[in-house]
Amino acid sequence: MAKETEKIEESAELQSSAVPSAEEKTVVSAKDSVTDQTVSAVGSDAAIFNRQGFNVNIEQERKRQTILHIFKNIFVYLFLTVCAVLAFLPFYWMIISSVKTEMEYRQSTPTFFPHAFKWANYAAVLNQSSGSNGSFWQILVNTLTVGVLSTVIGVIVTIITAYALARMKFKGKGVLFSLMMATMMIPGEMYTITNYLTVSDWQWKNSFTVLILPFLVSVYYIYLLRNNFKQIPNSLYQAAKVDGLSDMGFLIKIMIPLTAPTLISITLLKFIGTWNSYIWPRLVNDANWQMITNWVTGGFVDRGGVLYDGFYGTSEPLTTLKMAAVCLVSLPLFILFIFCRKYIMHGVSKSGTKG
Amino acid sequence: MAKKKHGTEEAEKLEPAENGAEAGRKDTKPSAGQKIKNAFVKSWHKVRDWFVGAGRTVKGWFVKKKPAEEEVGPDGMRTILPNYNLTKKERFFRFCRSQSGWLFVLPAVILLCIFTLYPIGNAFVRAFMENYTPMNKRHPYDGWGFENFVRVLKGDTGMGGANFLQCLLNTFTITIISVPVSILLALLIAVALNSIKRVQKAYQTILFLPYLTNALAMGAVFATFFQIIGTRTEINEGVANLGLINDILGWFKIPPVDWLNPNMHAWGSGTVKFYWASYLAVIIYEVWSGLPFKILILFSALQSVNKQYYDAARIDGASRSKILWKITAPLISPMLSYLFITGIMGGMKQYSAIVGLFGPQMGMDYNMGTMVGYIYQYIDKGQTGYAFAGSLLLFLIIMAITGISNLVSRKRVTYT
Repeated sequence: MAKETEKIEESAELQSSAVPSAEEKTVVSAKDSVTDQTVSAVGSDAAIFNRQGFNVNIEQERKRQTILHIFKNIFVYLFLTVCAVLAFLPFYWMIISSVKTEMEYRQSTPTFFPHAFKWANYAAVLNQSSGSNGSFWQILVNTLTVGVLSTVIGVIVTIITAYALARMKFKGKGVLFSLMMATMMIPGEMYTITNYLTVSDWQWKNSFTVLILPFLVSVYYIYLLRNNFKQIPNSLYQAAKVDGLSDMGFLIKIMIPLTAPTLISITLLKFIGTWNSYIWPRLVNDANWQMITNWVTGGFVDRGGVLYDGFYGTSEPLTTLKMAAVCLVSLPLFILFIFCRKYIMHGVSKSGTKG
Repeated sequence: MAKKKHGTEEAEKLEPAENGAEAGRKDTKPSAGQKIKNAFVKSWHKVRDWFVGAGRTVKGWFVKKKPAEEEVGPDGMRTILPNYNLTKKERFFRFCRSQSGWLFVLPAVILLCIFTLYPIGNAFVRAFMENYTPMNKRHPYDGWGFENFVRVLKGDTGMGGANFLQCLLNTFTITIISVPVSILLALLIAVALNSIKRVQKAYQTILFLPYLTNALAMGAVFATFFQIIGTRTEINEGVANLGLINDILGWFKIPPVDWLNPNMHAWGSGTVKFYWASYLAVIIYEVWSGLPFKILILFSALQSVNKQYYDAARIDGASRSKILWKITAPLISPMLSYLFITGIMGGMKQYSAIVGLFGPQMGMDYNMGTMVGYIYQYIDKGQTGYAFAGSLLLFLIIMAITGISNLVSRKRVTYT
């Protein structure tokens, strides 16, 4: 009996204290969402139970909730850790495989740390000068030239086109814009075939032009930048005009700095697109004119039997060499991601919300 | 001078009407002679004005006009009236200046015309040309019809290699499984990431790491996970390298699966088979490479959800899973539908993932080919008619999927 009255007293006390506290919590959480949510949950639960005439041992309930909370946290962190490990595993595997010896790699039980580091793998990959795939340095020069040229020209074309579509008035603008939007619906493969026939007719094969020109204009980036330009208020334009700025000056001095994050994203994504291009260079160009992704898909052999004294022959593709090549191709992307993560993600999330 | 003269004439012109009015007041009725006179004068003035106007226009063609006249407005500001008193030439220049936007879009428009618009039209025309042979200048094609499509769908192109229906099955199976799985996983990860406070940034970075990768390079890495290096006897003796996945399966006493050899593990017979093991390998890779983008989108969507909904639900005693499915999911459903639609469309166009895993031949003679792979195979072989037909079919399929998913999402998605 005594215990029960105590309980009731306690619950009554808690009822009086819990109800305002729940209200307080909602006010606080509306202002600042990072509050201790378990406490508010317990408080509100108690309030509901008491209103309905239940007797609940609040202490026990609170303990239960705390334990649940801890378990939930452990579970969440465990889940995220497993996912993070799985996300990172291919990268780790790629790096350690690239410095293993081929014998160690081919063991039946995999090793997760190389016994001996064989840096000669990298030297062998870098010095492969002939065969089905061109030399690394030739390919690197190709990729950088095409990447820089197509990025610079492409961004300039994107800027002026987006500017005209966002700010200028001319007849047929609406029709032009909707036509551009309509081309986004159509899969790129459909025009790759005709483009291939066109460049073959024009004798453009095996050149940089053929890699740069067909993909210079990206309707999606124009659309993205145009939306950004449109968000700049018109009053800013008028103010600039009053201050004696020309239209071109307004574009260069005001619009470009204001939309810099999007522009940087576009530049990065365009360059990454060139770095990762595979299908088009493979179609139109020979090995010496191709890009770095084409190079990495080739087979890498122990040329001249230098690495393993001809143990694997000179025509059997070696996985460790391939992993070294993969590392070389992935490294610039890693560096870009680490230093420009903000901008790349900005571009990505923009494309998400705009879709 | 001319203007002044014209002004006086106008004054004269007004006079008879005034006279008439006065006369009307006096006599209540103008006489018939007066009426006739008025009408005659009116019509004469009309004729004269027309001649004067025409003369001015003709004069304007030869004589250079003064610059645009400035008018003093009621506020004392001088304004130049647009297009007022301008010569044709000046008007033309002014029109050109107003259309100078075309100059800005010109490079993009030219490139789009050559490399996008023309090819699209060309694809629709060429797909219906039967037996197109560009070498034969006099008789390049046999006629118009659906022969390319029939041959593509029947699979008797006489070239061997990829079968369109097989490619369709491959593409469809992989997409239909990998997209929902990766969205579900991304949703779970995003919710988990959203609920933690400590080291959130570190987890974020690692989980987003696969976003910026080269599909073919990472495909090569995944290929090493699935690849078996060694002969059959070596496998039986247990000295072969089975790949990481088979090693893990070995812990559960599951015999090794030759993931990258489609013909080893196939259901069905005939020309179209279901290569389940190879599909599984591709799906694992696709989910891994598609996750970061989806996590990023869903994570930013979750962060923009108003926290009051959660508090309200918690006060009403909703459980965690109920909150996830009844509140979070509907609130971010626009993002989910966006990811689903883009995922399906991207999946229909997949190519490099499979080339990365299976090599440029896409398995054994394109039996793991996709629809895009089918198209490129026929470009390589120089049979562009089939490539055009295949690309048109791909286009139709993608349009159909877009239409269906738009219909579905209009009913299911909650836009707040």
